Amino acid sequence: MSLVLDEVTKDYPGGVRALDGVCLAVGDGELVGVVGPSGSGKSTLLRCLNRLVEPTAGRVRFDGRDFRSLDPRELRRRAALVMQTPVLFEGSVRDNLLVRPPGASGDFSPARLASALVDVGLDPELLDRDAATLSGGEKQRVTIARALLGNPQALLLDEPTSALDPPNVALVAETVSRLRERYQLTIVAVTHQPDLVRRLGGCLLYLVRGEVVAYARADGTVSDSKLHASLSGAQASPPIRYP
Amino acid sequence: MTSTGAVLDLSLPQLGLALLLVGVIIAISVYQRLGIAGDVVVGTLRAMVQLYLVGLILAVVFRAARWYWVLLILVVMTAVAAQAATGRLGKPLPGGGAIAALALTVSTAITLVYVIGVVVRVRPWYEPQYIIPIAGMILGSAMTSAALAGDRLQSDLRIRADEVEARLALGFSGREAVQPVVRAALRAAMIPTVNGMMTVGLVQLPGMMTGQILAGSSPLLAIKYQLVVVFMQAAATAIAAMLFVRLAVARYLTPAHQFARSRL
Repeated sequence: MSLVLDEVTKDYPGGVRALDGVCLAVGDGELVGVVGPSGSGKSTLLRCLNRLVEPTAGRVRFDGRDFRSLDPRELRRRAALVMQTPVLFEGSVRDNLLVRPPGASGDFSPARLASALVDVGLDPELLDRDAATLSGGEKQRVTIARALLGNPQALLLDEPTSALDPPNVALVAETVSRLRERYQLTIVAVTHQPDLVRRLGGCLLYLVRGEVVAYARADGTVSDSKLHASLSGAQASPPIRYP
Repeated sequence: MTSTGAVLDLSLPQLGLALLLVGVIIAISVYQRLGIAGDVVVGTLRAMVQLYLVGLILAVVFRAARWYWVLLILVVMTAVAAQAATGRLGKPLPGGGAIAALALTVSTAITLVYVIGVVVRVRPWYEPQYIIPIAGMILGSAMTSAALAGDRLQSDLRIRADEVEARLALGFSGREAVQPVVRAALRAAMIPTVNGMMTVGLVQLPGMMTGQILAGSSPLLAIKYQLVVVFMQAAATAIAAMLFVRLAVARYLTPAHQFARSRL
C-alpha cells in the first residue's frame, strides 16, 4: 500500500498548528521513520494517515485514492496503528486478540491466534494469560499481533519502543523488521531512534514544529527541502550528505 | 400545635423551633472548620424562600385548575432540572443544556403519561394535585440520573481516552468504540435507583409515603402509591440516562468515527 500526504496541515483548537504543509510519499512495502523533538507533530502525522485526526487542509491518499472517499473504519483496518502506550483490554491475551469490530473478516481460529503470537516472538502458551500480568514489551508485542490479525497492508507505529528497556527495544525492532519482510508491509514509525530505522534500511523524515526540515533516504543522502519529501526524489531538493 | 381534621397544623413558632436543627450543622461546620457554614445559611434561606414561593404559586394553580397553568409549571420545572443536571459537570458539555432538556422532557413525558393516564387514571389529566407532585418526583429522578451519567461519562472518556482510540484504530465505529464507557455511565446512573429499590421501606420511609401518612392516609394506601412512585422513578431514571448519555457522547464523536478529545 502506498501512502501520500499532500500539503497536510493540522490546526488544533486554540490556534496550535501541529502540522504545516507536510508532504510525504511512502511506497508499497517501504519503511519511513518520523523523527523530531517532542511536540513537533509526529503523532498527529501518524493519526492523519489513518484519519483518527482530520487534517485541516491538504490531502491524504491511499494507493492513489483520496482517503475521504474511503470508509474510515475500513481505512484503519488496512493501515493499523500501534500506539505508544500499549492498550490491552480486560481479559486474557486471547480475548485481546479477538477484539474485533462486528463483521470484521479474517481468520481468528485458535491456530491463527497462536501463529500471530509466534510472529511477534511470543510463546503461544501466553494465549490464556491475563493480559494485565504481561511485561511492557510483551504487551506491546501483543498489540502488534492484534494489529496484524486484521491483515493490514500498512503499520503505523507511534514510538512503539519508547517505554521499553533495551533488550525489549531490540526484540520489538527485530519483530517489526521480520514482519515487514514477510507481509510486505508499508511501515511509518514515529521514533526517537533514527539509527534503528537506518539499520533496517528505512528512510527518515525530520519534523520540527510541524514542518518537514529534512528527509534522509535509505542510502544516507539528505534533502533539506521544507516542502517536499518523496521517496522517488523527484520533488526533492538536490541531495546533500547528512552530517 | 392545633389539629385540623386528621392533620396536625404547624404554627410559625413551631417552624422556628425546627429551624434550630440547622444550627447543628452550622455548629459542626464552624467547630471542624469545614468552611460550609455560609453555604448552609444561604441554603436554609433559599429553601425557605423557594418553598414558600412555590407554596403560594401552587395554591393559585390548584385553585385555578387550568391545563395551561399546569403545563407552564411543568415547563419551568423541566428547565430548572435541565440546568441543574449539567451545571455541576467537570467541564461544560457542548450543547449540554439542550441535551439535558430533551432527555428530561422525553423521559418525564413518557413516564408521566403512563402513570397519570394508565396507572392512576386521573381525570381530568391536568388535576394539579396529582400531576405536579408526580411530575416533580419523576423529574427529580431523571435529573439526578442525567447528572450522574454525564459526570461519569466525561470522567471515563478522559481516563479511558486511549482505550477509545485503540478501538477506533482497530476499525470500530465511533459508537462501538465508546460503548464500554457508555455502559459504565448508565450503570453509574441506575445503580442508586436499583439500590434504593432494594432497601425502600427498610432503611427509611420514602418522602411521598411519609407525607401521605402524616397527612392522614392509611399506610396501606400510602404503600400502593409509593410502589407506583418507585416504579415510575426507575423507568424515568433509565430513559433519562439512556437518552442523555447517547446524545452527550455523540458530542465527542465525529461522522468520520473520530474521537474529539479536545472537547473534553
